Amino acid sequence: MSDAPSRIPRSRQQEPPRSAYRWIGRPMKRVEDPRLLTGHGTYVDDIHLPGMAHAAVLRSPHAHARIKSIDTSRAKALSGVILVMTGAEAAEKAGPLPCFANPPVKQMCIAADRVRHVGEPVAAVVAESRYAAEDALELIEVTWEPLPVMTDPEEAARASGDGVLHPDRGDTNVAFRRSFDFGPVDEDFAQADHIIRRKLRWPRSGAQPMETVGAVAEYNPGTGKFTIHANSSMYNYVGWLVAASLGVPAHRLNIVPTLAGGSFGSKIFTHRVMVIAATLARACGRPVKYIEDRIDNITACDAHGCDRIYDVELAIKDGLMTGLKCHVIDDYGAYFQFGVGHHGNALSQITGPYRMRSVRLDLIAVLTNKCQQGAYRGFGSDVGNFVLERMVDAAVRELNEDPIQFRRRNFIQPDQFPYLIPTGNMYDSGNYSAVLEEALGLLDYAGWRKRQQEARQNGKFIGIGIATCQERSVFSATEFWMLNEDPGFALTSSPESVALKMDPTGKVFVALQAPFWGNSPETVATQILAEQLQIDPQDITVTYSDSDHGLNGTGPGGSRFTVMLAGAVVGAAQQLKQKLIRVAAHMLETDASDLELRDGKVGVRGVPGMEKTFAEVALHAHYFRLSMPDDPSLTSGLDAAHVYDHPVTTLPAADRKNLGIFYPIMGHMCHLPVVEVDIETGKVKFLAYVAVHDCGTLVNPMTLAGHVRGGVAQGIGTALYERYHYDREGQLLTANFMDYLIPTLHELPEEIVVGHIETPSPFTEYGIKGGGEGGRMGAPPAVASAVEDALKPLGVQVDALPLTPRYLRGLIRQAQQHRLAAAD
Amino acid sequence: MKPPPFEYLRPIDLEGVLAALAQDSEASKILAGGQSLIPMMNLRMVAPKRLVDINRVPGLNHIRIDRDQLVIGALVRHTDVMASPIVGQYAPLLMAAYGHVAHRPIRNRGTIGGNLAHADPASELPAVMLALDAEIVLHSRAGERRVSADRFFLGIFETAARADELLTEIRIPPTSGRRRWGFEEMSQRQGDFALVAVAATFDVDGGRCAHTHLGYAGVAERAVRIAAAEAVLDGSSPHEAVLEAVAAKAAEAVNPPEDVHADAAYRRDLVRALTRRALSAAARR
Amino acid sequence: MPIDNERVRVSVNGVIYERSVEPRLLLSDFLRHELGLTGTHVGCEHGVCGMCTILLDGRTARSCLAFAVQADGCQIRTVEGLGSVDSLHPIQDAFWEKHGLQCGYCTPAMLMAAVELMEANPNPSREEIRDAVGGILCRCTGYQTIVEAVALAVRRVQEVTK
Repeated sequence: MSDAPSRIPRSRQQEPPRSAYRWIGRPMKRVEDPRLLTGHGTYVDDIHLPGMAHAAVLRSPHAHARIKSIDTSRAKALSGVILVMTGAEAAEKAGPLPCFANPPVKQMCIAADRVRHVGEPVAAVVAESRYAAEDALELIEVTWEPLPVMTDPEEAARASGDGVLHPDRGDTNVAFRRSFDFGPVDEDFAQADHIIRRKLRWPRSGAQPMETVGAVAEYNPGTGKFTIHANSSMYNYVGWLVAASLGVPAHRLNIVPTLAGGSFGSKIFTHRVMVIAATLARACGRPVKYIEDRIDNITACDAHGCDRIYDVELAIKDGLMTGLKCHVIDDYGAYFQFGVGHHGNALSQITGPYRMRSVRLDLIAVLTNKCQQGAYRGFGSDVGNFVLERMVDAAVRELNEDPIQFRRRNFIQPDQFPYLIPTGNMYDSGNYSAVLEEALGLLDYAGWRKRQQEARQNGKFIGIGIATCQERSVFSATEFWMLNEDPGFALTSSPESVALKMDPTGKVFVALQAPFWGNSPETVATQILAEQLQIDPQDITVTYSDSDHGLNGTGPGGSRFTVMLAGAVVGAAQQLKQKLIRVAAHMLETDASDLELRDGKVGVRGVPGMEKTFAEVALHAHYFRLSMPDDPSLTSGLDAAHVYDHPVTTLPAADRKNLGIFYPIMGHMCHLPVVEVDIETGKVKFLAYVAVHDCGTLVNPMTLAGHVRGGVAQGIGTALYERYHYDREGQLLTANFMDYLIPTLHELPEEIVVGHIETPSPFTEYGIKGGGEGGRMGAPPAVASAVEDALKPLGVQVDALPLTPRYLRGLIRQAQQHRLAAAD
Repeated sequence: MKPPPFEYLRPIDLEGVLAALAQDSEASKILAGGQSLIPMMNLRMVAPKRLVDINRVPGLNHIRIDRDQLVIGALVRHTDVMASPIVGQYAPLLMAAYGHVAHRPIRNRGTIGGNLAHADPASELPAVMLALDAEIVLHSRAGERRVSADRFFLGIFETAARADELLTEIRIPPTSGRRRWGFEEMSQRQGDFALVAVAATFDVDGGRCAHTHLGYAGVAERAVRIAAAEAVLDGSSPHEAVLEAVAAKAAEAVNPPEDVHADAAYRRDLVRALTRRALSAAARR
Repeated sequence: MPIDNERVRVSVNGVIYERSVEPRLLLSDFLRHELGLTGTHVGCEHGVCGMCTILLDGRTARSCLAFAVQADGCQIRTVEGLGSVDSLHPIQDAFWEKHGLQCGYCTPAMLMAAVELMEANPNPSREEIRDAVGGILCRCTGYQTIVEAVALAVRRVQEVTK
């Protein structure tokens, strides 16, 4: 555990946290906002290219079927139609889409010989307008041979023959099956004085950002090069894989990022949409715009969230949790783009903030006739948090303990950091009791317990929920493959880069290698850079590189971006600072060591008048080479680039009994919702909500609070409202916004009180930790806890989400009938 | 999701509308607020060959009292119904129901006539019209026809209006000073269609209830009244025990549809709870 | 059966536009692609999300639930008419200050709904503010800072008009 410090690499932190900053920590108004507020931000559907045509996609009405024939002649003949392409025709031009699983599961951009989920593209039309394209879709005639539909993962796991989705991969729908043991599991369970057992269900919901996925692609027949404008996040990291799908070398593809109207993970890749648009563009000789409509997106976004059935056991000895056993069946849908990366992710914090010794994970990943899973804010750790906190609540109930005391007793203590958990991951710093105390104070916990008592006497059902959860940040690339028997492509780099230049007038340009999707990269870059250079934020401008010009960048996701961007900015800024000082030293005829940066100037420390403005230094540096010392390292100009690698990560052991350090920048949260349940209708109302987060040093408390609140809103959606609901025939019953219920403001707490505690990281620049996923990782268990607490007098137990009114009312009715029967 | 093509007519008066409907009624659809029709067209669930836009037709936009009846023109936007002091005074039940109808931008465009003509079984307003004994006025080339609300709503998106008829007006009879009312709804989100909604009205005369009307949304393929439950209240005092009995009877009498949001057992639970609450609120007025 | 185009003459942010369009062209597509005013966004095209909300003759309306031809003779206001970076409308300023946006996709709709409220009711209650913006979805913010931004804009306008 924490007695193996030799396994922890040395910190490479350059900028330690300090007690006061000029720019870091300020709730600065966002740099991104003016264009968004005035309607002048460019999202992908705003892109208009000369001669651009429009694509629409024919969605499969069947969950599982062979395509026997497809007749596109009537569609082609419709006025305004330029091109119709079947999956078979697309397969001649474009190869399989990228897949991180090994062995891969083959996915084509348009289904060729069989469809594997409702909504999967079967053909594409390009026309002069989207309207005409959709008219043409209705004229495409497909004949089908239905195949057995697999919607129950346990049934799918047993299927063979025609019920197998990918027979070329073997006669089974089980894509992955493996057991992992970390620490002395059997011993802990043998010695336990209590074993808590639960069956838990986490059904699929998804990001559903307000903007869907889209791409505008063009192909230049003169250069043989594609240009794709897309709202994709990882275009710099693995954009070359898209080139591979298109059958061209990587330098014949340039991906240009647009603003993204939200992602929450669902736009991390967008490979299918990019490949469809580009393939159509090349085929018809015109730029092609393909924007998913909402039905396309709900049914075929390739980004559904986790969908799991858990059998869990928790071992307890002397009031302390020792071991955890999880048997999981994960319903991955029809494809497997990230393999079981979501489970690797969960193993980074599977024991939560508690001092547990051992973990067993029995994992079965099954393919079924549903849209595939992708990334959704939490990427598996959201589920891990839910499972663990449900078990903690169950333990508290069965042992008749106080939920606060039990957690306090089991917490990792502040003097135990850096802390290694049984899976091998490290928690860099933390103070979980401090977060809990802050939350209890902000809520007036004692006051609400009193109100709860009174309410119960009046026949009202108020509950206080508690969730104390981890919020890991900054993933290592090892997470993608470390659970595989045969890793395939065992990458270990997940860097972020920044290119800086100061122009002759002293203005600073920052080029980012990853896009904007509602996070605040321009503001973060500006605040960190302003801090480094002591420059006015107004003198900084931020741009986004396309993939042609991009340096190494992994992109936003896994709550990594602020930390990694800060590291890249610090690294580049330090180079820039050095050069600024060297040139200024020459201009001021003084020693570099006497100089400091202050208020946009370089000046002699302690001598107020002796200074040069950045503009003066920059002009000199750009244009007056012969006036500077004859040193080959003093080139004209002021620019710097820095690639910042993951600050602390190690490889997994070959036997996988130790997964190494792969997600160590560890934030933490305590969520305390107060709810009232109407037991006749099953409706849940929020009376209060407190969320205290520890994200280390805060760059911008306003934007962090925004992520906490927005994440809580999505977490409440997952807990109470949202579900991709497939029936037995694989039809998606919640395929539009009337049935897939995203909460409006009326369904959410009117106020989410956000608190902060800071335990800086010893490993990152300024001690910053990530926080972008946070709110969503605490809200589902917290809300489940609150509802169960409210219904405690009725003996209702919460084991599944979402707690829709119908479902809750069913549990209540059952519990009441049970009570009546028991009373007889 | 783009709508299929259609021929577009925008008559300048009622006569023009009726002529257009008479000419090709099966192929024509009336376009008023469009808040129900256009989503269905965008989803390509319906593909009318021809839309007759009535938004510029005068004479359909009034709210007034006419010989004791509250008369509302079909083209009055929901927002304007809600803002009308006449409606507030004469039909507070309708006002209460409006608190659950959609959201402001939808109510700004959607019309009361359009909502009733669309006849969504989960919509609040048809249930209210049943509770208020409203009369639906229809016009065609052949003249005017009036249909009482309890004969107007026939099935899912199906009414007694013929294809060549336009719904022009809603007439709500006066109620006595002894008339009580209550409205309760359960929907998953504010503004969604009702899982179940109850519009309840009754007189209290000498301490006893009479002329009870219980209109429901969400419990059948159309808005319905539940006579068996009304009969339990008529002639009785509105005590809690009686109200509970009415509610139980109503829950027993329905055979509700099932969908992804609610099964039959849940809808019955809602009928019971919401009926009791609507009646309690009404009794307390 | 070829369908004739219809003439549309509409004022958008005070500028008159005349076009000839298919009757089925949605008002949202007309604004965005015919007129190039891409500040109004599209999220669902079935009237639920509210991204496409604009002011039509002074009242908010879902532009995905109207045909462009229906707007003939009407006055439309979109986010582009509210202000520019050098001269922001008080509501835009307030959203900026209160962090009422993250990805910005719902922002134009929220702003137009706030403008409808502020112009109709100079002293709205918290409930009225919540009701005014409550019909538009936001997936990023959790709504709290949006409501706070509208409340701030209302206060500021009240101070100025005193």
